[in-house]
Amino acid sequence: MRFFVSSVIFALGFCGQIAAAEPTHRVFVTNEKANTVSVIETRTNKVEATIDVGKRPRGIGLAPDGNELYVAVSEENAIAVIDPKTLEVLRKFKAGSDPEAFAVHPNGNIYISNEDDAKTSVYDPKTGDELLAIPVGLEPEGVGISPDGSLVIVTSESANMLHLISVPEHAMVANIVVGARPRSVTFSRDGKTAYATSEVSGDVTEVDLATNKIIKKVSLDAIDQAKPKDIVLGKDGKTLYVAGGRAAKVIVLDAKTLEIKTAIPVGKRVWGLSLSRDGRHLYTTNGVSNTVSVIDTANNQVIATIEVGEAPWGVVIDD
Amino acid sequence: MTRNPLATVLTHFAAFLLALASMCAKAESVHVRIVYVGDESRTAYIGAKQGLNEANHQGQFLGQSYSLELASLEALIPGNESNYSAVIAALDAEQLLALSAALPNTPIMNVTAEDDSLREGCTTNLFHVIPTRRMKADAVSQWQQKHPDADVTAQAWHPDFELYAGRELNNRFRKANGIAMDDNAWAGWAAVKMLSDTVAREGLTDPKQLRTYFSERLRFDGQKGLELSFRDTGQLRQPLLIVEDGKLLGEAPVRGVVDTTHLDSLGLVNCPK
Repeated sequence: MRFFVSSVIFALGFCGQIAAAEPTHRVFVTNEKANTVSVIETRTNKVEATIDVGKRPRGIGLAPDGNELYVAVSEENAIAVIDPKTLEVLRKFKAGSDPEAFAVHPNGNIYISNEDDAKTSVYDPKTGDELLAIPVGLEPEGVGISPDGSLVIVTSESANMLHLISVPEHAMVANIVVGARPRSVTFSRDGKTAYATSEVSGDVTEVDLATNKIIKKVSLDAIDQAKPKDIVLGKDGKTLYVAGGRAAKVIVLDAKTLEIKTAIPVGKRVWGLSLSRDGRHLYTTNGVSNTVSVIDTANNQVIATIEVGEAPWGVVIDD
Repeated sequence: MTRNPLATVLTHFAAFLLALASMCAKAESVHVRIVYVGDESRTAYIGAKQGLNEANHQGQFLGQSYSLELASLEALIPGNESNYSAVIAALDAEQLLALSAALPNTPIMNVTAEDDSLREGCTTNLFHVIPTRRMKADAVSQWQQKHPDADVTAQAWHPDFELYAGRELNNRFRKANGIAMDDNAWAGWAAVKMLSDTVAREGLTDPKQLRTYFSERLRFDGQKGLELSFRDTGQLRQPLLIVEDGKLLGEAPVRGVVDTTHLDSLGLVNCPK
């Protein structure tokens, strides 16, 4: 049966796959209250276009081949599909109640949290079909996918859990209780550990994925008002960047020791993070300042601050 | 939504696999008994039942289950402490003190009595989830330093509160119960949630261990943005909401008057010497 399911999912992912697109060198930012996506040219760091996308856009991600951009338009209970080249909204498909954060699997499927329904849904964005719905804890939020695609981790914010879901079986392999209001997850380069932020308890937890146990936890209390949200791994695999929320800083951690190395002032309520493919530039969404900051990761300095729409939330780079 | 047959087949397989997986993933099961004492017609009881449903929702992933039983004060007073992990109490001050004396090692969660005198007593097993009158007065006074003409009141909760996932809690409470979440309902919900958080995170179910944990270590997400904890007086530190004519205006500690994280700017902080 496992073989059957995996074959079907593999087939679904494979169907319709075409050659990878040339990157557009654009950064896409969802503006939650402006109902738009800001398009920033990476070489100039200027906004070159603004796309009307629908009500309350939040989660954003690119297809593995870069041919399509997906945006969760939460109040329309849908995902909008945008052509990253022409910037046209190609179509929308229904994606359950209140879709928020999501991740795109290497096979092309979308794993999305339905916050009001306590479930994670799997969609094929080509057809808009819901392939699966997986019950999780209350207020599911962050979705992370391991580098090899074999594990999906979903955070449930109210239940304070990380749900570890194997792919392709879609079996719940573990439920790990972490600090209050877990929001975002990322993986080590080798996929052996995962890191999760907890917003209300203000900490970062590292989980060993061989034993599914917490192996390290660091408080970010040393950074005033730190309410961590997004977390990404640096290109070197040795650095973690954490959006500090109310602290208005990006907090830089040593991925091995979880010690705080530095904190970079950006804008107010920094939530979204995205790293360029070459690892040199980190883009942040600053929800209350209505800006995006660009950090040079070589020296941890902000090299550009870009005005976008009201309440920027998510960010993704096509490079 | 129209579905293709393949997706339907897959969904059924997935449900089956999930059922199998959830059985395998479950550790040995733990059952936690909670008791509610006091007027069942109060919204505190509806809040506690909401908390119970959420605790059981979480518990299905962790092999933990919860029940909320009803008992009269007379039935609890003989003081058998082996029955329940915690008591949710919608009682007056006098009744709370009597129950606290009868069950000295059981956490008694006060969800309705706002008397400051109860906090001044610093009774070690009384945990006051509901704010006091003085906390509310302090919140109003902070607000009025900024807005001298404002005729406002302070509350523990408001059905229009949206920040820090307040929106999600209000929505699911209204959907499940058909009424708006008020202060007592929030307190009832919070009392069960802090218990289930502790069971989930620490595996504690023994009343005496829970009592110590609540006093010394609890850090709780009450969906008001900050971590909440108990003072030595037994009072839960918490932000309050400022309301005028039923309309939500803001939060206390009031920004620009005190540091917004300074929860001890509201009410009595330490036990009287």
